[in-house]
Amino acid sequence: MYPDYMLESIKKVEQTRPQRFELAKKHGKQVYPPMGEKERGDILANYHPDYKDDALREVQVGPNKGEKLTAKVSDMLESHTRIDPKKFDLNKPDHVTDVLVIGAGSAGMSAAITAAGNGSKVIIATKLRLGDSNSMMAQGGIQAADQKDDSPILHYLDIMGGGHFDNKPELVKAFVKDAPSAIKWLSDLGVMFDKNPDGSMMVKPGGGTCRSRMHSTRDYTGAGICRVLRDEVYNLPDKIKYLEYNPVVELILDDKGQAAGAITYHLGTKQYSIIKAKSVIISTGGYGRLHIRGYETTNHYGATADGLMLAYRAGVKLLYMDSVQYHPTGAIFPEQIVGFLCTEKIRTMGAQPVNKNGELFVYPLEPRDVEASSFIRESHERNLGITTPKGLRGIWLDSPLVDMINGEGAINKYLPAMHRQYARFDIDIAKYPMLVFPTLHYQNGGIEINKDAETTIPGLYVAGEATGGVHGRNRLMGNSQMDLIVFGRRSGLHASERVKKGVKFGKMSLEHVYSYEKEVDEINIDKNKIAPILLPDYIPNHVKEKQVDTEYFGTLI
Amino acid sequence: MKIPYYPGCTLKSTAKHFENSAIESAKALGIEFVELPKWNCCGVVTPLAEDDIMHHVAPVRNLIRVLEMNKSGAVNDEKRLLTLCSMCFNTLKRSTLRIKEKVDDLDVLNDFMYKEEDYDGSVEVVHFLEILRENGFDEIKKQVKKSLENLKIAPYYGCMLLRPKDIGIDDAERPTIFNDLLTSLSAEPIEWRAKNKCCGSFLTLDNKEIVSRLGYDILTNAQKSGADLIVTSCPLCAFNLDNRQKIIKQKHPEFEEIPVLYFTQLMAIAFDLDKEVMGLDGNYINPVPLLESKGIL
Amino acid sequence: MMKSKENMVTVYIMGDAYNVPESSTIITAMEYSGFQLTTGVGCREGFCGACATIYREKGDYKLKGGLACQTVVTDGMTLAQIPFMPAEKPIYDLKELKPDINTIKELFPTIFRCVSCNTCTKACPQDIDVMDYIQALKKGNIAEAADISFDCIRCGLCALRCPAEIVQYNAATLARRLYGSYLAKKSPEVDESIEDIKAGKYDKELEELTKMDRKTLSEKYYARETKLR
Repeated sequence: MYPDYMLESIKKVEQTRPQRFELAKKHGKQVYPPMGEKERGDILANYHPDYKDDALREVQVGPNKGEKLTAKVSDMLESHTRIDPKKFDLNKPDHVTDVLVIGAGSAGMSAAITAAGNGSKVIIATKLRLGDSNSMMAQGGIQAADQKDDSPILHYLDIMGGGHFDNKPELVKAFVKDAPSAIKWLSDLGVMFDKNPDGSMMVKPGGGTCRSRMHSTRDYTGAGICRVLRDEVYNLPDKIKYLEYNPVVELILDDKGQAAGAITYHLGTKQYSIIKAKSVIISTGGYGRLHIRGYETTNHYGATADGLMLAYRAGVKLLYMDSVQYHPTGAIFPEQIVGFLCTEKIRTMGAQPVNKNGELFVYPLEPRDVEASSFIRESHERNLGITTPKGLRGIWLDSPLVDMINGEGAINKYLPAMHRQYARFDIDIAKYPMLVFPTLHYQNGGIEINKDAETTIPGLYVAGEATGGVHGRNRLMGNSQMDLIVFGRRSGLHASERVKKGVKFGKMSLEHVYSYEKEVDEINIDKNKIAPILLPDYIPNHVKEKQVDTEYFGTLI
Repeated sequence: MKIPYYPGCTLKSTAKHFENSAIESAKALGIEFVELPKWNCCGVVTPLAEDDIMHHVAPVRNLIRVLEMNKSGAVNDEKRLLTLCSMCFNTLKRSTLRIKEKVDDLDVLNDFMYKEEDYDGSVEVVHFLEILRENGFDEIKKQVKKSLENLKIAPYYGCMLLRPKDIGIDDAERPTIFNDLLTSLSAEPIEWRAKNKCCGSFLTLDNKEIVSRLGYDILTNAQKSGADLIVTSCPLCAFNLDNRQKIIKQKHPEFEEIPVLYFTQLMAIAFDLDKEVMGLDGNYINPVPLLESKGIL
Repeated sequence: MMKSKENMVTVYIMGDAYNVPESSTIITAMEYSGFQLTTGVGCREGFCGACATIYREKGDYKLKGGLACQTVVTDGMTLAQIPFMPAEKPIYDLKELKPDINTIKELFPTIFRCVSCNTCTKACPQDIDVMDYIQALKKGNIAEAADISFDCIRCGLCALRCPAEIVQYNAATLARRLYGSYLAKKSPEVDESIEDIKAGKYDKELEELTKMDRKTLSEKYYARETKLR
């Protein structure tokens, strides 16, 4: 439960709630004027963490050398390889397959199912278990313009505007055109989308959308999808083989510069394996566990940007790696859930952000970067935030409005995960607001691909959060879930088509690892700094000092 | 002579001296006890346990739901639980009686529950037939719209409705409740020997042989006693008597099939309710030709 | 208001005593004590079910279960890790199935061994009425089972404690997939939108948009009408 001093502030929130409810009845979602182009630009420049002086740093190695990237990303990219390439005899692969999928979130599993359906033999190599991913944790929804009052055109505009027009047009076009079929594909696989009594999809708006096109499976949208895909992978044992606890630590190319496989490392037995494959799909997700700028994250334990490192070392350019998504509403109280996601769906269903006096200060559904910046301004610059016993500062998300607007029991029915999360700490979000502040959520940029999800390396595909370009410099709610399916399926399809056409391998090679090592050596990087990071390191220093010869997965954090 | 020997726990502890004397005197006679290499308790503990509480956890959880319905206002001060199936009736009622017998066990039972409130022993379990009797058979008579006059019906009681005595809803040997119902529905109940014979119950799952043998006896007895059809009060009896006629027919080609109805189906027919409500298409032996020939349908 | 120093409690990790901050969850307590986790850990937010574990609290004879990332430690707690949850899962082709009780019987015969002991429900860290959905499946009510089991994260604690050896969460997955693909009402508007796209209804306009300069696109974006339901 909240301490007394917070309850004092909550009283003020309760006092203004009836007025704000009237406002919502009158104006729908638009209880506060949305910002125009200039306002958005100003608030981002002044308050978004990406715009701080030390946010970016020129990367000194690799394909993006000389470009300013998020500092922590530059740090990671300037790392040594985990392997000694000399020790691997690439002529003796442990596994041979048509398509290798690296990572098993919704993008990877969509790719695997699609490739298998198109006749390819597939191996999934994943760091933890099948489905252990950010995909599983997504809550709010998945966007597709499949309603009568909507169109792919409007979806296109929303995505471009939300991404500040930095998106890659061919990717966005592919995205909006594929989205409705992706919904159907998932439906046929047995995903239980929320529906109206007549069977039509129950859609909600999202931050930065001009129509209601957010499909959901309660507030377990990611899980609702991901657990179905996982079950489908389990059901295809003859076509898809999966290697769990087996992260990929380097890609293998051939001397013609094509993708040719990868090297995996088993977290338990510590054995390395060589996988030879005609097509390789990277679907390793994002980088939340790098804790950029010290932010807590909503991300999975394994979200350490492994795929980014793999592709970059192999010579693929990264796009928009200067842009980080902070989700506006991360929990900051109780302390056990600091950084956890409070889904945007809560605002979608009518909850309003208010300051310590219970006053509205922003349109609740701005694009995420704008919304997050306004929270930072309200709590830190204007000093109208609420401070937790641990010293964190945030604003209230007035969740009881959800029940007032949608009818009693709406929170329990449509936001069961959120309700449960807080109930574990004796807070009923149908009665009390939630204390929130932006939290590290999403890697806006990533590995560059074309509309077929292929990179500049023939046979190397990327899907999901690991890619860059789809969302420009800011992703909208519900578009990552759709991204996983659209480009998961595209990558699976084109990877398997390539296999069908026939792949002529050259000599298997780790030359790219040697040459990247040389670059890293030239800037005198500590030998112990290696990447992919694989897992973050949360052992406190006083313990670590005594773990003299312990091997650490993480070397950065 | 060497013989495998099972000592048991007592002979190894408090009765060690008996074991020694046994082994040594046997030796004197040239008999050698060879102890089992790995032996466990003979199993006496389980059958000795008087506690059968685990059997009552599931029934009692259902009884608690009755209390919850009273509390929530779904029903008004009605602590009787109505059942249709004789088997369920018997099982649930047995638990109510078992708890009345040993009220102290309530604490242990309630410990097994989770979010449910405590059971207090106050629920009574009744079969629909009892409610009909209490309501008055004259009330049924008033609702009859289709006469069943020409229909000779064998009322099949089975076991679970009548036995054991403290659970049974009627005299175990000379029951009348079903006959009274049939009479009030304007049908003619016949008197027959097999009315309370066992149908084979759950043996139907893994020993269809026995079930069809019992069924053959019951069905032919009904036919010899002049019945046109049989009515049951239990879905399992109905299944065994109805569906197992397939096997009976295979074994006894001369056997003539006889329809088996559930008692509420007969009520629906007499009350002239919708065809869908009668649900006659769910029965294995189609009763429609018979009912039509009697001018009922 | 600000706490100066965190209070510590003693927990027993696989038997050994460690002092950890009292606000720790089982996961962070283990990490604080020096264990770097590679199994039995996942999303750390209660969504993935990787960290289901068992523990005992001081003075309590009961073996409790929970998610290690969501369970706050208590003084004297004895805890452990369950690295992996083995389970049988029948292989099926969803397209070949019928959404009825016979499918359930064939693929999950074990659920008919349920004795209604409710241990599964007591074990569930998501507070799902696990026994109730197993009972619903026993009655052939797939829709009800899909609804009740919706919040399942497949942590496996129900199956771990079930005396009838039922793998509840796999049965629930099947129920939800059967519901989603067969029993849920169809959404014709989705098919219609797919047809429109296939027929090329938006191709020309989309093509123009992809070629549009930033300024014109921005104007178009800020001028678009917002109509939210």
